[in-house]
Amino acid sequence: MKVEISRRRFLQGSVALTVAGGVSMTPASVLASAAKVEDIGKTKIVATLCEMCVNKCAVYAHVKNGIIKKLDPNPYFPKSRNMLCPRGNSGLASIYDEDRLKYPLIRDGEKGSGKFRRATWDEAYAYIGEKLTKILDEEKDNRSTVAFCAGEGMAEHTFKNFYTGFGSAHFLNHASLCLATTVSGYSLTIGGYGQSDLENANYVIMAGANRAEAIVTPDTMDFFKRTKGRGAKLVTVDPRFTNTAAKSDKWLGINVGTDLAFVLALTYVVLKEGIYNKDFVEKHFNDFETYKNHVISNGYTPEWAEKITGINADDIYEVARDFMKHAPQSIYYQGRRTTWSKNDFQLRRAQAIFSALGGGIDIKGGICFGKKIPMEGHEVPSPIYDQSEPRIDSTEAAVVGGSGTWVGFRNKVLEGRAEYPIRALFNYKHNPMQNMPNSKKTEEFLKKLDLVVTIDTMPSDTVMLSDVILPECTYLERTDPAKVYGGIEPAIVQRNKVVDPMYESKPIIDIMRGLTEKISKPLFEITKKYDEEVQDAIKEDGEEATYEEFDLTLAFKQTQEELNHHAVSKHPGAAESLHEKGVFYPNMDKWFKKINVNEYEYYPESEKAYSVRNGKFKTPSGKIECNLSSLTKRGIDAMPTWKKEYEMVIPDGQFRFVTGRHAQFTQSGTANNKMLLDLVPTNYLWINKRVAARMGIKFGDELEVASSVGKTRIKAYPTEKIGLDTVFFIHGFGNYSEELTLAHNNGGRDSNIIEDSIEPMHGATCLHDTIVEIRKV
Amino acid sequence: MARYGMALDYKSCINCRACESACKAENGVLPGRDNYRIWVGQKEIEGQFPKLSISSLTYQPSQCQHCDNAPCQQVCPTNATYYDENGVVRVNPEQCILCTYCINACPYDARYIDDRTVTVDKCNFCSDTRLANGETTTACQATCPTKVRTFGDLDDPNSDISKLLEKREYKQIKEHLGTKPKLFYLL
Amino acid sequence: MNLSIKNLITFKKTPLNLLVAVIGALLLAAFVAGAVMYFLHGHHAFNVTRQHPWGLLIAMYVFFVVSSTGLCIISSIGHVFGVKEFQQIGKRAIAGAIITILSGFAVIALEIGHPITMLIYNVLTPGLTSAIWWMGTLYGIYLCFILLEFFFLTIKVDHKWSKIFGIGGLLAGLAAHSNLGAVFGFLISRPTANGVFYPVYFILSAMITGCYLIYIIYGFKYRNNYPDHLKAMFLKLNKILGMLLGILIFFEAWKILTALYGTMPERAETIMYAVTSPNFLIGELLLGMLIPFFIILFTNGQAIKPMVYASLTGMIGIFFMRYDLVHDTLVYPMTMLKRSEYQLPPTLLHYFPSPTEMMIGFGGIGITILGLYVAEKVFNLDPDPEH
Ligand SMILES: Nc1nc2c(c(=O)[nH]1)N[C@H]1C(S)=C(S)[C@@H](COP(=O)(O)OP(=O)(O)OC[C@H]3O[C@@H](n4cnc5c(=O)[nH]c(N)nc54)[C@H](O)[C@@H]3O)O[C@H]1N2
Ligand SMILES: Nc1nc2c(c(=O)[nH]1)N[C@H]1C(S)=C(S)[C@@H](COP(=O)(O)OP(=O)(O)OC[C@H]3O[C@@H](n4cnc5c(=O)[nH]c(N)nc54)[C@H](O)[C@@H]3O)O[C@H]1N2
Ligand code: SF4
Ligand code: SF4
Ligand code: SF4
Ligand code: SF4
Ligand code: SF4
Ligand SMILES: [Mo]
Repeated sequence: MKVEISRRRFLQGSVALTVAGGVSMTPASVLASAAKVEDIGKTKIVATLCEMCVNKCAVYAHVKNGIIKKLDPNPYFPKSRNMLCPRGNSGLASIYDEDRLKYPLIRDGEKGSGKFRRATWDEAYAYIGEKLTKILDEEKDNRSTVAFCAGEGMAEHTFKNFYTGFGSAHFLNHASLCLATTVSGYSLTIGGYGQSDLENANYVIMAGANRAEAIVTPDTMDFFKRTKGRGAKLVTVDPRFTNTAAKSDKWLGINVGTDLAFVLALTYVVLKEGIYNKDFVEKHFNDFETYKNHVISNGYTPEWAEKITGINADDIYEVARDFMKHAPQSIYYQGRRTTWSKNDFQLRRAQAIFSALGGGIDIKGGICFGKKIPMEGHEVPSPIYDQSEPRIDSTEAAVVGGSGTWVGFRNKVLEGRAEYPIRALFNYKHNPMQNMPNSKKTEEFLKKLDLVVTIDTMPSDTVMLSDVILPECTYLERTDPAKVYGGIEPAIVQRNKVVDPMYESKPIIDIMRGLTEKISKPLFEITKKYDEEVQDAIKEDGEEATYEEFDLTLAFKQTQEELNHHAVSKHPGAAESLHEKGVFYPNMDKWFKKINVNEYEYYPESEKAYSVRNGKFKTPSGKIECNLSSLTKRGIDAMPTWKKEYEMVIPDGQFRFVTGRHAQFTQSGTANNKMLLDLVPTNYLWINKRVAARMGIKFGDELEVASSVGKTRIKAYPTEKIGLDTVFFIHGFGNYSEELTLAHNNGGRDSNIIEDSIEPMHGATCLHDTIVEIRKV
Repeated sequence: MARYGMALDYKSCINCRACESACKAENGVLPGRDNYRIWVGQKEIEGQFPKLSISSLTYQPSQCQHCDNAPCQQVCPTNATYYDENGVVRVNPEQCILCTYCINACPYDARYIDDRTVTVDKCNFCSDTRLANGETTTACQATCPTKVRTFGDLDDPNSDISKLLEKREYKQIKEHLGTKPKLFYLL
Repeated sequence: MNLSIKNLITFKKTPLNLLVAVIGALLLAAFVAGAVMYFLHGHHAFNVTRQHPWGLLIAMYVFFVVSSTGLCIISSIGHVFGVKEFQQIGKRAIAGAIITILSGFAVIALEIGHPITMLIYNVLTPGLTSAIWWMGTLYGIYLCFILLEFFFLTIKVDHKWSKIFGIGGLLAGLAAHSNLGAVFGFLISRPTANGVFYPVYFILSAMITGCYLIYIIYGFKYRNNYPDHLKAMFLKLNKILGMLLGILIFFEAWKILTALYGTMPERAETIMYAVTSPNFLIGELLLGMLIPFFIILFTNGQAIKPMVYASLTGMIGIFFMRYDLVHDTLVYPMTMLKRSEYQLPPTLLHYFPSPTEMMIGFGGIGITILGLYVAEKVFNLDPDPEH
């Protein structure tokens, strides 16, 4: 770092979380492991959290003789509303999956050969240490040659502390494969991604969001009790007729990738007809007139959009008018997995602006920003390494944030365009072999690295291409960091360990503790060798004091229970509540009420955080931003604009492929789950019935689906629920790993066939831009 | 002593099938194609893309109807199928001879053969896993994301289900057969 | 009675005898093999499913007990109702009734999951509203009666007692058999089976079956070459059978017409399916009814020899009637909703018996053949001299 400020000042500013006092006076009861006392024969109930997906619903685990017998919903968490989806129920099959990773493994043969030898934890740590010191020595302590990636999870934070201490510039996670564009599209436009208040909205457009199947809490639970003429009108826009479509008042089968044209046309109608919320626009819009001119002068009429989207102009008029009629209790739903096409970011901007035209922002029944409950941070070192280079993927898109552009990163490395070599990867709870398009490239990428360390519970495809495999225990066997879920009804929740870890698996915090104890010192030796700042500091303060700031073990000294207790120490009774109920929020004792067998009240109406902004949004101007002119210098349109290149031609006899979810599986992580496979044994290709008939394809026929990058095999499901030129199957199947006995080769693998293009704003991947051919085999 | 029944706000059902996995876990129902106590029925959608009939596709969560006048009970040669003190239609595996007559007789396809006891099994409103322990909900009700089910005592005027049935209209399935089903589909 | 082993294993090695012996032995072997498969794999060795829980074994059980009841009824024409020509067939017919019902029991024992439990709880906790309970219990009584009847006919010849038990057997048999019809007739869930038709139809078809069997048994015994007193009996039997077949055809026609009329959803579709299937058209209608009926009709009831062959086709037809009875009753699924996204919309159910089911079901015929053979060897089934 060739900066003037002293390294020390820099250091203090870069402590990852704010400091707090030590941890003492922790009541033994709270720290005692939940699973320790076991009365044989009696059923014990432990409050914990689900981690079969991102939602983290509150769970009661019933334990008998040390075995989890049943997972039930735990009513206390306002976000999860006393439910468990099929995946939550099937957590049992995840902890008791015989294919689980049981002990550390070190590669023992060609990469990808699937040959590993069993190792002790110490051996594994030592192996990693040796490789890392060698790499860092060769790369002269450029910490960024080691990359870190993680899937979403309660303990992602713990792993991230390791990354922070390690000092690499490269962190990669699901954001660029999932929600980066919608989060930023809404944030930059209305000042936050927010939470759609589906409990009170009267009119909702759900476009490319399938809440009846891709479950997001509390949206899924709140909303479908109110659809079908029971309070809320729903317009579903999706190229498939989904379960959500089945609940809607209107379903519009849109052409894939053309939503921006649809939203622009809706906007056109309300601007032209002047039926927007004039008061709100006057007070809270920035550059409204510019946007209005832009939309009108470009002629984004419903008639124009009809040709692009395949949606009748009449329907567009009707939806636009109805939306405004119900505004401000009208929402253009943000969506979540918004990795579709090149225009994802602009589409979400257009949605946010359209939604705001009705005034339904920061208001009951609109998009709300909600509140958080403060927690205490804990200190983790965040040293600056002089030799560490900046991210290599920041040149791949206009704005590359802290979670990178995964595909951009991978491709840059593979194509040899990186400014310096990327040599190692630490991977936590993440499956790039499946979650990134074009598996062939991911495989090459993983093979190219000198060291891949994967921390997983299952022998995933990525695990099988790693050098060191560290088995984490499943979520039911560990206590994870307490976390606050902000929103209209915020709460702090904590995953409590239900039973002891099986086999030799460990929670991530223990893995990190063990690993850092082994490698912290040797790595510091490398830094000492190359880092002049460090050399100076040692001269000044002595080695011990300097090392303290680089000591990777510090973040993992305490147990998770201690850390959690400290995190909520400002809230009386919180630690106990988190331990007993898994949930805490202020006044929970008083406010939490059972209304009837199915319903609970968490916050009194007057205490719900519907409106929190007081007319000032978290954008640069404090207003709804129509025109982000600052983006133009990065080559990004200031206002959502339709471009000819967005119109993809689908050659005759070929199809555009889309991916997505069913309620019974989570991405690639549940493909081996016995209970879930009992519900749906494999994935199927949705193909239009008439087209299938023409091609002589019948239900269950084996098909080969091929694109320019690869192919896969899958069974046919001819249905009228999908258009003539589109095909679909759910993500996560067709695993390579032979160690996944149920998932191996079961069904079609979308990551094989999807082409790996990225969109220009954040380098998020475009999963729906692939044309495929289909052949009966 | 109660008379248990269930009301289903079936329009809320999103066909997630959590009730199915919860029931299997709760009652140890074995995996397999024919092994289930609970299921969700749906029709094939009508129409041609993009002109599809939304209303043709509703989800119908189903399980044993706990008929007050149960054909399965009437046909059972050994009284293995019986009404328990709560009006729940149950099977005593001790007495069941596996003639499968009841499976033929049930108009709702609610029964199947359990491979562990090699007798007939069906939904029993979680009588031995839950009600016997003093719990007041069934596994399928508790787990449901959209709270489709309300289980309770039809004889108790203050129960949630009684109150629901008092104010909401409902339909019953194959009511014309005179089975007097105790599953009520709220309209 | 002649119980020596030597007597049991010697018979005249005519081609026909040898053929029947080989068929009988193969069928018996099949039955044993099927039983072994069943004990190894339970119901998984069968092609029955949750939606189609009954199959070939129930059909074969019905086939056997229909035969038994039929033989009992026909024999009773003679020694219960005193029609002279029929008295001579009494013993053989009752022996046949006993053997066929035992064959039926052997088959059903491998279909019912827990026959021992059945014996216990049929008594301890009788299900009085259950047609199966009544059918089973009455057939139990029936078997006792006809065994006693047979005892008093052949072993301890006593015409008073044989007649008393004969009447008892007949009544129990009729009651049991119509209850078997009611096993289907009581199924309110199955609109084509539900109602009065089956209990009545069962008795009718039992009588027809009895006639066919008498033709076959005597045809085989006399190599289609009859003494006069038998000819007289057959000529009467021809008339009876002709009339019965006429009634049956009449019944069936009205059953079909009423089921199709107004196209009541489930019922009409099921009957449409049933009457258009080759099982019905070729099996039931042509083989089971029309061929025998037309032979009788066109020969004015005078043909005896052709009727033996017509009875063979008749029995094949009767088999299809039993098979279709079970299959058609169950063919319409109790729910037409899909249970999973990934399936074809439910249609009428498919069922085809598994090898194990065929081995047990058709193997049961081996038991009948063996039984008849042994009975012929051991007992004197011809009329006593004083008759
Ligand atoms: N083709 C295609 N690609 C996609 C998507 C798509 O729909 N289609 N969806 C995208 C989206 S939205 C997302 S969010 C990403 C998700 O991609 P990922 O973040 O990779 O998530 P999963 O695919 O669920 O894989 C999770 C991995 O974590 C492991 N795991 C599960 N529980 C634990 C645990 O407790 N500890 C540890 N250490 N490991 C655990 C699982 O075994 C699995 O290997 O994929 C993206 N990629
Ligand atoms: N059961 C379950 N729930 C989950 C998950 C899971 O794996 N399983 N994963 C969680 C995660 S990580 C995420 S990100 C979310 C994802 O939640 P969603 O984004 O709601 O779900 P997806 O199924 O990925 O995609 C939504 C829909 O987009 C449609 N679509 C495709 N192309 C277009 C288009 O051009 N226009 C329009 N309008 N629609 C289009 C697809 O047909 C699909 O139905 O779900 C979360 N919840
Ligand atoms: S939505 Fe389902 S899988 Fe996700 S956390 Fe909740 S129960 Fe678990
Ligand atoms: S759990 Fe509820 S919403 Fe899900 S399928 Fe069952 S009834 Fe329907
Ligand atoms: S639904 Fe079927 S199994 Fe349940 S009580 Fe009624 S007849 Fe019996
Ligand atoms: S199978 Fe069992 S429960 Fe059903 S009727 Fe027969 S004995 Fe009764
Ligand atoms: S009530 Fe219990 S047994 Fe019946 S379907 Fe629901 S979970 Fe299963
Ligand atoms: Mo995601």
